[in-house]
Amino acid sequence: MSRITIKKGHDIHMSGEPAKNIESAGHPTFVAYQPEEFRYIKPKLLVKEGDSVKIGSPIFFDKCMPDVKWASIGGGKISAIHYGYRRVIEKIIIELDKYEEAVEYTAFDHNEISGLSKTQVTDHLLAAGIWPMIRQRPYNKIANPEDTPNSIFISCYNSAPLTVDLDVALRNRSSSFQAGITALSKLTDGNVNVIVDETCTSSTFMDLKDAETHMISGPHPAGNVGIQIHHIDPLKPGKVVWTVDAQHVVTIGRLFLKGVFDPSLIIAVGGSGVKNPTHLKSRLGASMETLTVDRLQDGPQRMISGDVLTGKTSDKNDFVHFYESTVSVIPHSDKRPFLGMLHPGSGKSHYSLTNTYFSFGANSFPFSTLLNGEERAMMPINSWENVLPMDILPNQLYRAILANDVEEMEQLGLIECDEEDFALCSFACPSKIDVGSVIRQGLDVLEKEE
Amino acid sequence: MKFLRKILDNLEPKFTKGGPLEKFHAVYNAADTILFSTDEKTESAPHIRDSLDNKRIMILVVVALLPCYIFGAINIGYQSSQFSGIERSGWENFWFGFGVILPILITAFATGAFWEVLFAVIRKHPISEGFLVTCALIPLLMPPTIPLWQVAAATTFGVVIGKEIFGGVGMNIFNPALVARAFIFFAYPSQISGDKVWLKVDGVSGATALAVPAAVENGNAVDLLSKITQFDYSWSNMFWGYIPGSIGETNKFLIMIGLLFLVMTKIANWRVIVGALIGLVGTASLTNIMAPLSSNTMLTLPPHYHLVMGGFLFGLAFMATEPVTGAHTDKGRWIFGILFGALTVIIRSINPAYPEGTMLAILLMNAFAPLIDYYVVQSNIKRRMARYAAE
Repeated sequence: MSRITIKKGHDIHMSGEPAKNIESAGHPTFVAYQPEEFRYIKPKLLVKEGDSVKIGSPIFFDKCMPDVKWASIGGGKISAIHYGYRRVIEKIIIELDKYEEAVEYTAFDHNEISGLSKTQVTDHLLAAGIWPMIRQRPYNKIANPEDTPNSIFISCYNSAPLTVDLDVALRNRSSSFQAGITALSKLTDGNVNVIVDETCTSSTFMDLKDAETHMISGPHPAGNVGIQIHHIDPLKPGKVVWTVDAQHVVTIGRLFLKGVFDPSLIIAVGGSGVKNPTHLKSRLGASMETLTVDRLQDGPQRMISGDVLTGKTSDKNDFVHFYESTVSVIPHSDKRPFLGMLHPGSGKSHYSLTNTYFSFGANSFPFSTLLNGEERAMMPINSWENVLPMDILPNQLYRAILANDVEEMEQLGLIECDEEDFALCSFACPSKIDVGSVIRQGLDVLEKEE
Repeated sequence: MKFLRKILDNLEPKFTKGGPLEKFHAVYNAADTILFSTDEKTESAPHIRDSLDNKRIMILVVVALLPCYIFGAINIGYQSSQFSGIERSGWENFWFGFGVILPILITAFATGAFWEVLFAVIRKHPISEGFLVTCALIPLLMPPTIPLWQVAAATTFGVVIGKEIFGGVGMNIFNPALVARAFIFFAYPSQISGDKVWLKVDGVSGATALAVPAAVENGNAVDLLSKITQFDYSWSNMFWGYIPGSIGETNKFLIMIGLLFLVMTKIANWRVIVGALIGLVGTASLTNIMAPLSSNTMLTLPPHYHLVMGGFLFGLAFMATEPVTGAHTDKGRWIFGILFGALTVIIRSINPAYPEGTMLAILLMNAFAPLIDYYVVQSNIKRRMARYAAE
C-alpha cells in the first residue's frame, strides 16, 4: 500500500451535496445510449426501430474494432433512434418491459475467475457487450482488446463536486467488486491499482486481493484517474494503461459471478437546483426526467449529465451518459449588480480561489451558470498552475496546441493529459478560457496522427 | 440604478447587428459591462466558474494605486510650499497637488481611451479593461511639471506601440506604461532624464537623490546625501516620500502597502518580488565590497538606500509584477526578479548617463522574459524526455 499526497488543486464547496443514503428511483420507462459520447468510434447499428431486445443483446458495434459491441442496457423494444447532422446516431432509446428478459452467460465462482486466462476474460467481456466499460489512457477512449495494458487503474475516490460517494454506492457490493478486480487482473501483466481516499475506512476497498491499493490525499482533482496515473504509473508514448469506473467494476464482477449483465447503477442527484439531493438506485442510461421528477426547484435551471466541471449540458429529454453517474442541476442567474467589479464580495455572493473578494468561509456556495466575466486574452497569474497537480506546463501546452505544433505538444507531455484534469483550470481562469476543450483538440490531433 | 439600466437597454438595439451604430458595439459593451456585471453564461463544461475576471484584476490594481495618487497630490503641494515660501495646511497641499494631477490624469485617460476604442472598433475586439491600469499608471510615472501635450504623446506611444500593435492586452511584450515613460525619457532628455528634480515652482533646481552620488568621484554616497541641504535626503525621509520626484513613486510605505495588497490577492507573484529584493540587495552588497577599487561613488551606496531611492519599489510593485510582460513560469519569475534587481543596481551605479535604472531594467527584462521562459520550458522538456527514455 502506498500513500500519495496531492498539494495543488481545490475542493469546490458547493451547495446541494447529495445525502449519503440511497433512495429508489423507481422503474424507469426509457433508457438510452448516446453513442456520440464514445470517442473515436464509428458506430454501426445491429437493431432497428421496433426490434425487441433483451438486457445484454448487442445494439451496435464499432466498425474500427468490430469485436467491441454494446449490450442493451434494458429489456424491451427499441422505441426510437435519433439521428443528427450527417446521420450521426444521437440516441438509441429503449422502451423497457415491466419484466425485462436478460441474455444469460456462464457464471463462475471466485476461484474459477482466478483460474481464467486473459483471452477467456476478454472474450467474455466482448461477448457480453460490456467491453466499452474499459477505457484506455492516453486519449481516454475505449480500450483496444488486443492491447496488453501496463496496468489498470480503478479510482474509488470521487473528488469532483456533488459526485457519487463510492463508499455509499459500493456498500454491500464487495463480493462483486472483488470478482471484477480479479477478472480485470487477468488482463494486465502489471498491477490493478485501486486508489482510495486517505480518510476512507470502507471495508469494500480494504484487504482487496489481486490489487494494489493506494491511499491518496489532497484536494480535487486528486480523485481523477488521470492525476492518479500521473503519480503512480506515468504515461509515455507507446505506453497504455486502462481505467475502469469503480461502479463498472461491480457490473463486470456480477457478469462473472451471476452470468448476467446487471445495468443497475447508483446515481447522485445534486446541486442547488435540486430539492432533496441524494443518491438514487437507478441504472445505466436512465432518463434525466425519471431522476429529477418532483425534485427540481422552481425557476430556470440547467441539467447536467455528469458533474459540474466536466458534465454535458442536457435537458429532461436526455439520458445520463454511459460513463457518468452524477446528475447536477444548477440554476441560471440573470443578476447584473451595479458596478459589480467593485463589490467587496461575501461568502454568499462570490466564490474565488484568489483573495480578490472577501469570500472566505464559503462553506457551500450556490453556484449558478454565470460565467462571471467575459472571455479575454490569457492573464498568466498562475490560476491554471495552482490547480493542476501534474508535472505539466499548462500555459505553454495550451499555446502549443493553439499553434498546432505537434512536436511541441508531445514534448510538453500532452499524451499524459486529459481534458477532465484541466476542468479546474478553466474554472479558475480569470480570462474565462476553456482549457479542457483545447486539450481535447490537441489530443484529437495526436490521435489522428497515430 | 434602474434608470441607468433602462437607458442602456434602450440604447442596445442601436449597437447590435443591423443598428446604426453597429461598429461601436465594443463601446456599448464596455459601458454596459463596466456599469453592470455581465450575465453571460457558460455553454459547456465547466458549468460553474470562479468569481474572478480580468475586470476585477484590473480594478484592484487601480485600487492599489490610489494611495500613491493621494500622497502624490499632498507631496506636490508640500514641495512647492517649501520652495515658494507659501504656508499651506495638509488639505491645501492636497488640493494644490490635485489641481496639478487632474489635468494629467484626464489627458492620459482621454488619449488612452481614444486609442483603445479606435483599435477595438477597427479590429472588432472587445475593449480591454487593461487600459484602465495603463492610463492610471502613466500619470504616476510623470513629473508634476510635465506639459500636457507630452503626456498625450507619451500615452499614445505607450498604448499604440507598447500594446496595440502586438494585438492588445495579453499579447504585448513590453509594459505599455513603461514604454510611455521611456518614450518621453528619450524624446525629451533635457527635461526628463532624472538627474534634475521637478518642482511645481519656477526657478528652483537641484539634483535628485540618485544624481547626488553619481556626480561626485571618490566620495561616500551616504555622506554626500546627508550634506545636501536643499532637500532632506535622509533614509527615513526618502522612505516616507517627502522628496521631489515623479508623482506616484516617492512614498515607499504606501507603495509597499499596495504591493502587499496585490500579493495577498494573488494578482502579483511573490517570486518576482522576493527575487528582485535578493537581486538588488545582493548586487548592491557586491558593489559596496568592490567600491574601494573604483572612484565611482555610486558603488558605495548601501542596499537599503538603493531600496528607497528612485523608482525601484514602484516599478517592482506595479510593473515588474505585471503578469503578461513578465516571465510566465515560476522558475522564470525567480530569474526575472533577481536579474531585474541586479540590473537596476548595475545601471544606476555603472552607467553614468542614467542615474535611474529601474525603468530600463524592467524593459530589458521584459525583452528577456520569453528567453528565460524558453530555457525553463526546455528544461521541463528535457526532464520529461529523460523519463520517457528511462523506463
